[in-house]
Amino acid sequence: MEKSVDAIMPGLCARVVVEEGEKVSSGQEVAVINCMKTEISVSSNFNGIVKKVLSKEWDELQVGDPMVILETDE
Amino acid sequence: MVSSVLIANRGEIVSRIIRTCREMGISTIAVYSEADANAPYLQMADEAVLIGPANPVKSYLNISAIIEAACKTGAQAVHPGYGFLSERGAFAEAVENAGITWVGPSPQVLKSISSKSYCRKIADSVDVPTIPGTLGIVKSPDAVVDFGNANGWPVFLKLDKGGGGKGIERVSGESEAKKVFQRASRIGEMAFGSGDCYIETVVDNPRHIEVQFLADNFGNCVCLGERECSIQRRHQKIIEEAPSVVVVEDERALLFDRTVRIITKIGYQGAGTLEYLRSGDGNYYFMEINARLQVEHPVTEYLTGIDIVKKQLSIASGEALNIEQSDVRFNGHAIEARIYAEDPETFIPSPGVITALEFPGQDDKIRIDHALKANTSVPPYYDPLLAKVIVWGEDRPDALSRLKKALSEFRVEGVKTTIPLNLKIIDSQEFQSGNIDTNFIDTSL
Repeated sequence: MEKSVDAIMPGLCARVVVEEGEKVSSGQEVAVINCMKTEISVSSNFNGIVKKVLSKEWDELQVGDPMVILETDE
Repeated sequence: MVSSVLIANRGEIVSRIIRTCREMGISTIAVYSEADANAPYLQMADEAVLIGPANPVKSYLNISAIIEAACKTGAQAVHPGYGFLSERGAFAEAVENAGITWVGPSPQVLKSISSKSYCRKIADSVDVPTIPGTLGIVKSPDAVVDFGNANGWPVFLKLDKGGGGKGIERVSGESEAKKVFQRASRIGEMAFGSGDCYIETVVDNPRHIEVQFLADNFGNCVCLGERECSIQRRHQKIIEEAPSVVVVEDERALLFDRTVRIITKIGYQGAGTLEYLRSGDGNYYFMEINARLQVEHPVTEYLTGIDIVKKQLSIASGEALNIEQSDVRFNGHAIEARIYAEDPETFIPSPGVITALEFPGQDDKIRIDHALKANTSVPPYYDPLLAKVIVWGEDRPDALSRLKKALSEFRVEGVKTTIPLNLKIIDSQEFQSGNIDTNFIDTSL
């Protein structure tokens, strides 16, 4: 099933550090949010494979906005 | 004198610049992004122009949108404030190419001094000591290893084009050199357009002491005293004061002399700041140039009675400085506390909506520079600085007690702020005794 990794703070997408097709483990950083010029790390809460990257640098984000979609068995 | 100024910035500094412009009879044009449409200073300005969406790349960092706003409104000058495009040579050049007066050093000077290693070489050429390290760029991790093995670990790798507390990486030893070098280069490429780094050695118990200066187009340069800015978190300042408790009169004269030598050599015009580190054993090392109005400039304004924004505008208008060094007097003590929208313990940003707001009483000894209004949002896209509380006192204890009172009366609800941290700092014995260095927050609180 598909699960999303969501923005945990509002701000701007600084970068997504995973690529489509990449294997991701629970706890692994997948993206970084720039909130008020401070970088906040966004980690996955589950194991999976990156199905789609939704965010790109400078995108405006609200809390809960999906940044990366993972295909996961969990 | 120019008759209208566009302020290419946001937040408290816009209100600050408008105040002086009004006193001088200069009309003002503010610009804003969609996220700042309710900012209180937009009403204070004579005109306000929407320049783009919240994303700063498309608004406050968008050179063509700002130039378009300046041309459309017939602005005679552009004041860049601090941060954003304020030290960007390409912006200064675009302003001048549009036939508009740039309030700041020339585009050529800005382009040259954007390289920290260039500035280190300039300082060295006029016999001003720089923080020990490499004057030029290090080309490889091996060069870092060689330097560390010869001079001792740890060392700092600093990005040649870094700034705002970003681009400083500590290398503990040989085994880390490659990893840190690659990380620093990558961050530099992404954030500053250049991965070039140079090395600085670690200075023990460093205090951050900076000198404010004014330089005109006729070769005159005066120093407006030092500011002590050692209280920092993440290499960003929280409390600044003047005079510094450690700078004695002959050290002040030495710092002024060094500052004038460097500034004259560069051919810099306008207001600016030279940052120095003072080591625990009392040596001063040149660190870098801030080629703009600084956040903490009100401290100097209190101490000297000189309006720095006014001087910037008159220098930019081609007027000669009408003061000499001997005219600059330092009266009493001034302190600034920066209030950030952050958790005061973790420093995690705290954007949101200000639900309630109560300012301390203000008089000629308490100044609050801010752009706050109840029921407006603090957007997550920009710097967390909410307000600055600046106080004057006859001496340091007098200033500190006034600052404490003002901070205690300042209420901001809806977002977390660093007011409790500021109070904790000024209540601490170490701070009160003046026994501080740049590690204070990590080691003494």
